[in-house]
Amino acid sequence: MTFTLEAPARPRHRRRVSQMIFRAATLFALGLVLIPAIWIVLGIVLRAIPHFSFSVLTHTSAHGGLENAIVGSFIIMVGVAIIAGTIGLGAGIYLAEMSATSQRGQRVDGLLRTATEVLAGVPSIVLGFVGYIALVVGLHWGYSLLPALIILSMMVVPYIAKATENSLAQVPTAYREGAEALGMAPGYALRHVILKTALPGITTGLLVALAIAGGETAPLLYTAGWNDQMPTLALTGHQVPYLTYPVWAFYNQPSNSLRYLSYDAALILIVFIVTLLVVSRIIVARTQRHADIRR
Amino acid sequence: MSLVRTEAESPSNPGPPSDSASVRERLRNAETVLWHRGTFVAAVLPFLGLAFAITVVAIKGWPAILVNGTHFFTGSTWQPGSTYGSTVYPHGVATPQGASYGAWPLILGTVQSSAIALILAVPISIGAAIALTERLPRSIARPANFAVELLAGIPSVLFGLWGILTLGPLLARDVYPHIASIMPDVPVLNFFNSPTGHGEGLFTSGIVLAIMIVPIITATTVELFRQVPSLNQEGARALGMTDAEVTHSVTIPWVRNGIIGASILGLARALGETIAIAMISGAILGHTAQNIYSPMTTIAATIVSQLDSSFTDATGFATATLAEAALVLAVISVVVNVIARFIVHRTGKLGGPVGRG
Amino acid sequence: MNHKVRKSLKASLLALPTLGLAAAMSVSLCSTAGAATKKASLAVVAPPTSKVSLSETGSSLLFPLFGSWMTAYSETYPNITVSTASTGSGTGISSALNGTANIGASDAYLSPAQVQATPAARNIPLAISSMFIAYNVPGVTDHLKLTPQVIANIYLGKITNWNNSAIMKLNSGVMLPNLPIVTVHRADGSGDTFLFSQYMSVTNPSSWGNSIPIGTTIAWPNAPGAIGATGNSGMVSTCGSTPGCLAYIGISYLAKAQLAGVGEASLKNKSGKYVLPTSATMTAAALSFASKTPKTGTLSMINTSAKNGYPIINYEYAIVLSSQPNSTTAQAIRSVLSWIISPTNGNSLTYLTPVGFIPLTPAARQNSANQVAAIK
Repeated sequence: MTFTLEAPARPRHRRRVSQMIFRAATLFALGLVLIPAIWIVLGIVLRAIPHFSFSVLTHTSAHGGLENAIVGSFIIMVGVAIIAGTIGLGAGIYLAEMSATSQRGQRVDGLLRTATEVLAGVPSIVLGFVGYIALVVGLHWGYSLLPALIILSMMVVPYIAKATENSLAQVPTAYREGAEALGMAPGYALRHVILKTALPGITTGLLVALAIAGGETAPLLYTAGWNDQMPTLALTGHQVPYLTYPVWAFYNQPSNSLRYLSYDAALILIVFIVTLLVVSRIIVARTQRHADIRR
Repeated sequence: MSLVRTEAESPSNPGPPSDSASVRERLRNAETVLWHRGTFVAAVLPFLGLAFAITVVAIKGWPAILVNGTHFFTGSTWQPGSTYGSTVYPHGVATPQGASYGAWPLILGTVQSSAIALILAVPISIGAAIALTERLPRSIARPANFAVELLAGIPSVLFGLWGILTLGPLLARDVYPHIASIMPDVPVLNFFNSPTGHGEGLFTSGIVLAIMIVPIITATTVELFRQVPSLNQEGARALGMTDAEVTHSVTIPWVRNGIIGASILGLARALGETIAIAMISGAILGHTAQNIYSPMTTIAATIVSQLDSSFTDATGFATATLAEAALVLAVISVVVNVIARFIVHRTGKLGGPVGRG
Repeated sequence: MNHKVRKSLKASLLALPTLGLAAAMSVSLCSTAGAATKKASLAVVAPPTSKVSLSETGSSLLFPLFGSWMTAYSETYPNITVSTASTGSGTGISSALNGTANIGASDAYLSPAQVQATPAARNIPLAISSMFIAYNVPGVTDHLKLTPQVIANIYLGKITNWNNSAIMKLNSGVMLPNLPIVTVHRADGSGDTFLFSQYMSVTNPSSWGNSIPIGTTIAWPNAPGAIGATGNSGMVSTCGSTPGCLAYIGISYLAKAQLAGVGEASLKNKSGKYVLPTSATMTAAALSFASKTPKTGTLSMINTSAKNGYPIINYEYAIVLSSQPNSTTAQAIRSVLSWIISPTNGNSLTYLTPVGFIPLTPAARQNSANQVAAIK
């Protein structure tokens, strides 16, 4: 870190110029990030809107609509929220609150934490392939809801666990000490004090995980299959439709009606992502008003 | 509930609970134990899941590993053999006659597209992260943050759709020919020479990949910047340094390792990207890219496009080869992820979202 | 006579609610695969009266047609729902064989190894489709004449420019520009590649057939500038935007290809005549293979010897297991398939003409009906 005490004239000018260039360059970089986001969303919206009709929301694919895909995606997401939410929450609580004290225990914890993070990096196609080989064919479940839920949950548990761990880490120590001073059993304190405070962060993590799960294609291609009728809640044996399939499979079809369905599904996906983001922000804003933790 | 405890007791040593509160206390203790056990089980599950995935892929791919050997990593021909002909048994494994798989173009394509993505994404992400942590007016900061999160949330298949319908044709028509025309016929630079194709190829794949990994590198870098002690930055400012100098001399050196780690996280994401690449890479087997605009393929994209065809091989060898490819990809991404976490954790706790595969 | 009466009683009992129809059918329904000459009825089998849901998956070429078939079928029999998906011929075959789907749709018939691994597997012809050779040569207005030998040499990299003497010899009077040929092939494994590789193999035994095995994915030879495209639609758009392209595309995409400015080649058939894939030429070819279709339906109809026949046609197959888990499912599948092959229902021109297919020849239809009847 150097600074000069020389005569003002030239250095001041040079530094000011480099500051301006710096400002411009970073704003330009920011623009380069924002432009694709807007461009992609606009591109999809402009392609889908001219041919969009609300009947797409009320008819199944067998009759030219997407109702089955929407319901199917919804069912999958609720299932993932329940399964991955529970496991991710538990894992995050363990990693944040229940660190082992012994050296061996700490190494086990480190291994578990690393495994969780590494799992997030396994490519989605590999997990989809695993689901197909082991669950769909191996266990004879066929393309159905349960393999899809298991594989998708495997994919998003790391995100929820990480978000939980981070939120819990941000709960002020004062809360924990106060709880213990009051004689609360640790489990009771966890449930009534600590988790409540960390809830907004955990919820945001859960919403991020759902956004990821809702946008996945490759794993679902090999576990959920596709169904142009309304899905049932059957865990095995019945294929489940989902919104990313029409985008992947129909953009390539010769018939215009199928291609428009593809764009419509893309539009619904965008709407869904934006909704999740907005809800997540509302939650954060609402809780910030009362919280001691400010992000 | 009584908040006053007798002398001999403390929260960690409750002593024998008195009658009226005994049931409640016992339940609370049981609850604590339940939390401990239950969360431990939950924490072990991801590890089990990871082990399960690697095991399944390894077992399924074992016959292919045996037969393909090292030729898998050096050869370039993707030859399924006579799937409608006779079966032979090299190394005791049933394969169609003449089957021989070389995955070098896949591996090279994966490396090339990810490298292009990194080269493009890292400077832009750092620049954008700096912009986001500077004192920007609210009217820009809020939508900017929203847009970055939006970009992170856009599904891969929509990137592919946009790449095929909008970006690819635009680049092929208006951008690539200009780049190719100014490139001299010198050894390294003629990789950028024509033919420029029609938009589906290495360069387009790299660009779309870059756009996909920018959010994660940016978000991670923003979190890292926020962890730089404000005293250092404020001190530098008090000495009269401009924002550029503060960033250059204080902030970046502080988180240099973290930025490397964040970039590797982005790399891990790029390596495993499947659907978008399958749509815009021109997916061509058996050839490596002649120039930067050529069609190519990656391991992940090949698995997705060839999985269906592999089922026509009744011996299962084609599917086993794809499992071997999946195993190679899984191992690469695990190694890259572990390295990234290691580097990032050395700088400080990673608070942001983790890498996506 | 006793034998027949016992059979008709059994059949009537099974189809009690539709007694009339069952009685009419029962006399001719062949319930065992024993007598090879016994012909199954061509009438549509009535489905079970309970609610059954079936799943179909497979060929993306057959997908739109299967969808419109099933929409119409469900209007007649609302209690049977069939969900359709476009995943590819390979997935169609494997899903049907391992039981994850009831019906697999495939452009390619089962391989000997597949039949050996799953003896209960059947490939049942449903309709006849075709493929055209597409090109993008600016300035050429008429259909270019090509022979399979020239096409093979192009894909092998031996002919690299459109103004090559071999092509010019076939097309005297056509101004062929000095334009490098860009060969396009399917990057995803597909039934279209299977057909094209069969065509090349059969017509070019020494240069292609000996070295490149047929399949849904093949090891493409190294032609300069060769590119891959995904899906038939990918072939159309790639060819349309790449001057100099040569590609093979499924017949359903002919209209789309013409809109994209892609031309359709006249192919020289075995008799020496240059033909386009029209309903007439496809039918001529199909009829020439009528007597050669084996009981199993496994037949390559490439390179017909009919004078006016088109050289690249194929059966579109339903892959099913001849032994189903229960008789209700079996009956539902028999019903669906018999509806599809019936000339007044699925095999009528209303469904087939929009996708460029032709109906099964009478001999093939009988063959398929026999196979359908054997599904238990």
